[in-house]
Amino acid sequence: MSSSSDSSSREGESRSKWLDAHYDPVAGLNTLSSCIALADLHGDGDFKMVVGDMGHGPYNMKLKVYKGTARMSENALLDLPTGVAAFLMDQNEPRTPAIAVASGPFIYVYKNLRPYFKFTLPAMEVNALEKEVWDQAKEDKIDPVTLKEMLESIRDKAEIPLSVRSLRFLMLELQEMEAFVNTYKQQPLKRQTVITCMGTLKKNMADEDAVCCLVIGTESGELFILDPEAFTILTRVSLSSVPTLLDVTGQYDIEYRITVACRNGNVYILRRDSKRPKYCIELSAQVVGLVRVQKNIMIGTSHETLHGYSQKGKRLWTVTLPASIMTMSLLEQKSRGIQAVLVGLKNMEVHLYRDKNLLSVINTPDIVTGLCFGRYGREDDTLIMTTQGGGLLIKILKRTAQFEDKDTAPGPPTGQSIKLNVPKKTKLYVDQTLRERENAVAMHRVFQMDLYRLRLSAARAYVKALDASLAPVSSTMQEPLTLNAAVQGIGPQFKLILNLQNTSVNRPSMQLLISFLYDEKLYKIKPAFFKVPLLVPGLNYPIETFVECCSDKGISDIIKVFVLREGKSTPLLTAHINMPVSEGLAAA
Amino acid sequence: MGLETEPLLQAWSYFRRRKFELCSQTCSRILEQEPYDQVAWSLKTRALTEMVYVDEIDVDQEGIAEMMLDENAIAQVARPGTSLKQAVGKKFDGPSPAVRPVTQSGRPISGFVRPSTQSGRPGTMEQAIKTPRTASTARPITSTSGRYVRLGTASMLTNPDGPFINLSRLNLANYVQHPYLAKTLFEYIFHHENDAKNALELAALATEESNFKDWWWKVQLGKCYYRLGLYREAEKQFKSALTQQNMVDIFLYLGKVYIRMDQPLTALTVFKQGLDRFPKEVSILCAVARIHEEMNNMSSATEYYKEVLKQDNTNIEAIACIGSNHFYTDQPEIALRFYRRLLQMGVYNCQLFNNLGMCCFYAQQYDMILTSFERALSLAENEGDVAEVWYNLGHVAVGIGDLNLAYQCFKLTLSNNNDHAEAYNNLAVLEMRKNHVEQARALLQTSSSLAPHMYEPHVNFAFLSEKIGDLQSSYVAAQKSAAAFPDHVETQQLIEKLRQHFAVI
Repeated sequence: MSSSSDSSSREGESRSKWLDAHYDPVAGLNTLSSCIALADLHGDGDFKMVVGDMGHGPYNMKLKVYKGTARMSENALLDLPTGVAAFLMDQNEPRTPAIAVASGPFIYVYKNLRPYFKFTLPAMEVNALEKEVWDQAKEDKIDPVTLKEMLESIRDKAEIPLSVRSLRFLMLELQEMEAFVNTYKQQPLKRQTVITCMGTLKKNMADEDAVCCLVIGTESGELFILDPEAFTILTRVSLSSVPTLLDVTGQYDIEYRITVACRNGNVYILRRDSKRPKYCIELSAQVVGLVRVQKNIMIGTSHETLHGYSQKGKRLWTVTLPASIMTMSLLEQKSRGIQAVLVGLKNMEVHLYRDKNLLSVINTPDIVTGLCFGRYGREDDTLIMTTQGGGLLIKILKRTAQFEDKDTAPGPPTGQSIKLNVPKKTKLYVDQTLRERENAVAMHRVFQMDLYRLRLSAARAYVKALDASLAPVSSTMQEPLTLNAAVQGIGPQFKLILNLQNTSVNRPSMQLLISFLYDEKLYKIKPAFFKVPLLVPGLNYPIETFVECCSDKGISDIIKVFVLREGKSTPLLTAHINMPVSEGLAAA
Repeated sequence: MGLETEPLLQAWSYFRRRKFELCSQTCSRILEQEPYDQVAWSLKTRALTEMVYVDEIDVDQEGIAEMMLDENAIAQVARPGTSLKQAVGKKFDGPSPAVRPVTQSGRPISGFVRPSTQSGRPGTMEQAIKTPRTASTARPITSTSGRYVRLGTASMLTNPDGPFINLSRLNLANYVQHPYLAKTLFEYIFHHENDAKNALELAALATEESNFKDWWWKVQLGKCYYRLGLYREAEKQFKSALTQQNMVDIFLYLGKVYIRMDQPLTALTVFKQGLDRFPKEVSILCAVARIHEEMNNMSSATEYYKEVLKQDNTNIEAIACIGSNHFYTDQPEIALRFYRRLLQMGVYNCQLFNNLGMCCFYAQQYDMILTSFERALSLAENEGDVAEVWYNLGHVAVGIGDLNLAYQCFKLTLSNNNDHAEAYNNLAVLEMRKNHVEQARALLQTSSSLAPHMYEPHVNFAFLSEKIGDLQSSYVAAQKSAAAFPDHVETQQLIEKLRQHFAVI
């Protein structure tokens, strides 16, 4: 069994299109596809991997650079990175690219792995009322409580949203407010947004090593294109929602297209010289991946589907995937001119699609959250994957690998050829139906008579049970209750758990009591009487008590539980508990 | 008066007529006069043993301690098809759980209640100590207490002036020299006193005395080791005994050891060897069929039961199992035949009439349905049986469309058996039809807490929650249902529908 599976996996290896280059399950990389970039940082032809590591929660955010399988350097980041891009800023020789890291409202630009420039998003208009309130606080005209009330009223009404400082202030506990106000009141009030996504756009040449502009999307629903040298805003476009994913093609000075997936489930296509989106794709689910393959846009949604759209926003095809999409990335094998899309799925597979055809499946040891394909080290076609558990996987596409392009679903569906297992009717059955046919009237009469008698006896038994309230489910409309009892333990001490629930829609039950009936020679119950608290409808109230078995004879008995209403002797409910034999004593 | 019979002959006669109480009293009288009468002493030990004797090859129940603290287990997750433990989430050979109900461990219920068919292995300690531990179905802490305690206490109560033989004052080495005394003494210690340690000591001395040639003592040694939980040692003794003497018993004991070690496939091989030596031996065939049944292999279990019936056409276990299998594979008319055969053989109890009623109902023999159930009700021995009959009557009432009667029947089931999870579930469905959402919710919650292995309450809860718009609870319940029964189509469809709900903006 084991040997066969081993050999099959080895066979799989030889037939696989990928070479396993490196796997480190504990690399400690917590990152996403947008925060991985490959770049020839030193201009020596040896490509490095730049990763914006999101650390653990709000700590240990780092910019890490890998060379081969080893980490070369790391720089601490102040805030969560939302995008990492390598781009050429100028025409200077040697042509070493800079790294842009989007983080909070800033873009940090590194050159030669040293901080070089920090770009800050332009501040936004502050709510006049809010400013006024803070000014008053600065002059100590109002105390923090009033400040809180006023800010809250502004938050509810105003058109311009509050600044981060005010929002943070509203989250604080009462005793922390004073200190917060004193710390920040002297600083001018600013409202700033944060970057949600980042991409690069060639400035005026289509070459591989052309100067690139940065394209950034912000939480305020705007898109900026930045000049690479002066870091001035070249173009500013407003969108109707918050952009989350970007894809850019073309050149800034000539013609370009920006495809933006927004948080409202729409994908907008922008072109040069248009102040508003040219096309809009409305999807029924959130976009989780956006990749442009040649002229088509591949969109992965949270609906476990992958759609192909033309660049004018027309849907071409849809593929249903076996699991949710974690991430998507482009695979471009330049030597053969192959472009395909890599889709990391939640079932620990990475699928490779060209159009709607599945080309290959990579099984991974963990769920892949970050994908990046490109030149790494000196190898052209390298696939870098980071996993949910912080692992790093590097695979190299074999130079002999051939992708066969075939439609995966030809002909009728497989379900058509499965025969249903219809059981044959036996001869006995046929004989019985004959008997039924011949004696139909007599059989019917007997059955009807029996049925009347059954109804009568059932009704009698039911009334008897109702009178004695034997059932653990109360049937009266005034006190709809259910009771269920469980015994735990092995004796001589048992734990008795009574689960009492009020099943009415909106009437709480009050003034209920619980008592027990048992053989006092056999059992001791402590406590044996409860006052039930007010029962809120729909909630389960577990009531626990301890039962001690006094006998060492290995015999057991029934304990009856009654739920009573105060002042009435007939119980509302009764439950019978068949006690287990006490083994603790008997075995000892 | 006539001639007084010779007291020893009288005692012997009582023993032959299985009047053990009288036999032991007569022997006591002889022993009072003649304290060193070995014959009387031996006869009295045998009489006392016979009173509490249970066939050791019978299946015994696995206790909580053996299950939860299993030190023989090597792998937590065994390979599929090699263990008795994994049943949940497995493909079913034969009818799906939608047709044939399952036990707590996810196995289809058997047609014949044996100690191990009742609840299987629980997943957690809490489940182990919680679930149906009533007086009739309690799972013992260890198999060394369990049944033996209950049987042993009977003899403790009847001997108020202390035990017949004081084990601690016995010089076992003396007895070993008299093989006939030693054997009866061993059986007394093992069965009556339930003292495996002393029995082991005696058996060990006796084997040594017989120069390790006596297979009987080896088997007894194996039994002692088995009782003490030393399965590997027991296996060694049984195997050694087998080389000396081929006995059906030894094969069965050995198979039992392997089952306890959770090696059903090895047990099957042992039984196959046994069948080679004793072709068509009924008890071995039965044991094989049981293993197949426990491994969810219903079709081959039925084959073996049929083989049993060819040899012994009055085997109740085989008839009942084949009958229930036919019932659940949509051939109730054939099941009816099998159950009628049981009736002809003189089995006359509540359970049988209950089954007959259900078979008649599904085979459309309407004139006999309700009479069978009436008979079952009058034959019911305890409240649990009454509850089962009312539960089945509830099904009949649902079948003929009388929901009011069905409601009463399920209520009566609950008043007779407070822990009847299926009845809670069905009652909830009836409440759902009346649009009593809160009641239905409470009943379903109770049902699923009583029987977490059933998928029905989970899936009903999921549908109910989905209907009132509580998608989150619905999804959670649907997931539980899918865990209990992965191939359930409605659950899968519901989950798919909910996923779409969640994905849509």
